[in-house]
Amino acid sequence: MICFASFPATSDASGSYGTTRHHPDVEDDVRMDLDEDDFEEGVQRLTVPGESITSSHAFMRGHGTYVDDEEVIASVAGTVERVNKLITVRAVRSRYNPEVGDLVVGRITEVQPRRWKVDANSRQDAVLMLSSVNLPGGVQRRKLESDELQMRTFFEEGDLLVAEVQAFFADGAMSLHTRSLRYGKLRNGQLVTVPPILIRRLKSHFVSLPCGVDLILGLNGYIWVSKHVKQSDQEGEEGFDAEAVYSNKNDEIDDATRAAIARVSNIIKVLASHFVPLTDAVLLEAYEWAVDQENSVKDLLADETGENLVASIGLGIRP
Amino acid sequence: MAAVLLSKSERAYIQSSLKATPPLRADGRGLLDFRTVLLETGVAPLANGSARLNIGKMAREGGGGTEIVAAAKLEVEDVESGDGVDGGRVACSVTCSPAAYPHLSSNALDELQHDLSVILQQTIGHPSLHPRNLTIIPRKKSWLLNLDAVVLADAGNVVDALFMAARAALWDAKVPRTRAVQYRAPEALKSAKNDVPGAMDVDEGTSGFDTRDMARTAADFELPDYWDEGETLDGREKWPVCVTLNLLTPRHFLDATPAEEASVPQRLHLMFSFVPSAPPTLQAMRLLGPEELDLKDLKESIAFGEQYAKELFTALETKLREEDNRRNIKARDRFALMR
Repeated sequence: MICFASFPATSDASGSYGTTRHHPDVEDDVRMDLDEDDFEEGVQRLTVPGESITSSHAFMRGHGTYVDDEEVIASVAGTVERVNKLITVRAVRSRYNPEVGDLVVGRITEVQPRRWKVDANSRQDAVLMLSSVNLPGGVQRRKLESDELQMRTFFEEGDLLVAEVQAFFADGAMSLHTRSLRYGKLRNGQLVTVPPILIRRLKSHFVSLPCGVDLILGLNGYIWVSKHVKQSDQEGEEGFDAEAVYSNKNDEIDDATRAAIARVSNIIKVLASHFVPLTDAVLLEAYEWAVDQENSVKDLLADETGENLVASIGLGIRP
Repeated sequence: MAAVLLSKSERAYIQSSLKATPPLRADGRGLLDFRTVLLETGVAPLANGSARLNIGKMAREGGGGTEIVAAAKLEVEDVESGDGVDGGRVACSVTCSPAAYPHLSSNALDELQHDLSVILQQTIGHPSLHPRNLTIIPRKKSWLLNLDAVVLADAGNVVDALFMAARAALWDAKVPRTRAVQYRAPEALKSAKNDVPGAMDVDEGTSGFDTRDMARTAADFELPDYWDEGETLDGREKWPVCVTLNLLTPRHFLDATPAEEASVPQRLHLMFSFVPSAPPTLQAMRLLGPEELDLKDLKESIAFGEQYAKELFTALETKLREEDNRRNIKARDRFALMR
């Protein structure tokens, strides 16, 4: 029940450091010698920190780069992006960079006058104003002093919520809103965290898997895995049901659904550890493969199973 | 130990999953399953014994898991001046990296460090476990065994990890061989002084190099140059292991993640020492949490804990011997190369 293993050896890996390995799709692009006019659309270039990108005479340095000896040099590992004469490097691993309209999953860290502070995996805590949540008793109701006094009945410290990025403050912190019936407090499931870059922008970030599991893919890398709730139930009878929206109580969840939630969570963890971008199609394929294999839920986390899983959906960086 | 923010519904979800039949955990483990433990000894070249341990790291992932580095370092202490204690002593300390607990204030971090240090010191530094070979020269010099552990990352179950890492580092520790040095006055000088008192007025007595009056016992020691680093600590089989029972009556489970730790009302740390050819001894016990525990339940939990600790101990023992072999082979190969 307890098993010990050794740390992965670093010495035998050193042999392969001499040659750089790339994803097969980009191999040709990487081999291309990059001149000043090589920053074409659709060509992805990967950098390592300290790698020279281009001359500083022709281009301006942006985020993720610095200038040394008249050259623009990458300061992070990531992909090179260019807007006119501005060169930036988008880091592979970083905190979440919010954009207006993004769907995020966050956790309340603090309750302040007329606002909540929300941890959304960004550099600063996000802000959720009392005026940007749906209050009980009518969507268009004005907020009252009594609402300010009972803010903890809506959200309290530790609560998870799904929201949309509404705007930015002057200091770069994002302001969220939950003024939709699909947004609000989260129940009936568990949270999985992945690097934010792995979440692709999709048509809808509310994914429903046929195994009775709902997913909310927050663009900040927080993924909420929960029991499937029917669309009609979710929105309540008269459009808005404050009891249900701000409830802390879970519904009845049967064992099969719990197992499915655990399995989906493990699949997400495996895909994230292999650095596979997550989309609904990928997750669905991976789930079907996992069910076909008839493995137990915890076997999924074994290294070998994980590799087979990633190989089966034909993704990932092949060694 | 550190408060992780968790919403009420998450807590309820975890609790009801654990209470379901069959119980299910967030990552699909059984109640008594540990995550994979990675262990390596001899990671700090300047320490007398060291170990690095990680619980729950995902394969290929850069970070993740509870990571602990522990190192044992020996230091010479003078017993006569009052610094040391005859027979040597053991001092343990735990440092928590702020990166492991980014949400804690520095005061809270200090408190956490202190709590962990106290648990480690009171268990490892207990007289019943004291190694006998920490004396260099009786009543003069002794070794001070410093055991320092650093918590680099916390993904739950820190105390178990801490004790495993401590055990590995102490298992790995080597006490340098010492040879006592003593001053011996030449016989001639000695007889000269006893001969005729006051007959000759030689200023021998004032010489700083004159050591005739010194007792004929060892005064100092030297380190002989040996091919290995010394002998292992005495009684290294005795160092305890810890199992943490997370109690969610009527069930209990092992190796909790931070979310699980935050959603159980009580935790019981049990430190067992297994000496071959003797019954296991319970070295220490800690009960954390706001609730009460019946004496009957406590006894039951201890009996269960002993069983789990035995398994943990056996697995750790096997791994430590494997590590010893690996490093000895490496050292031998290097030696062969040099020749």
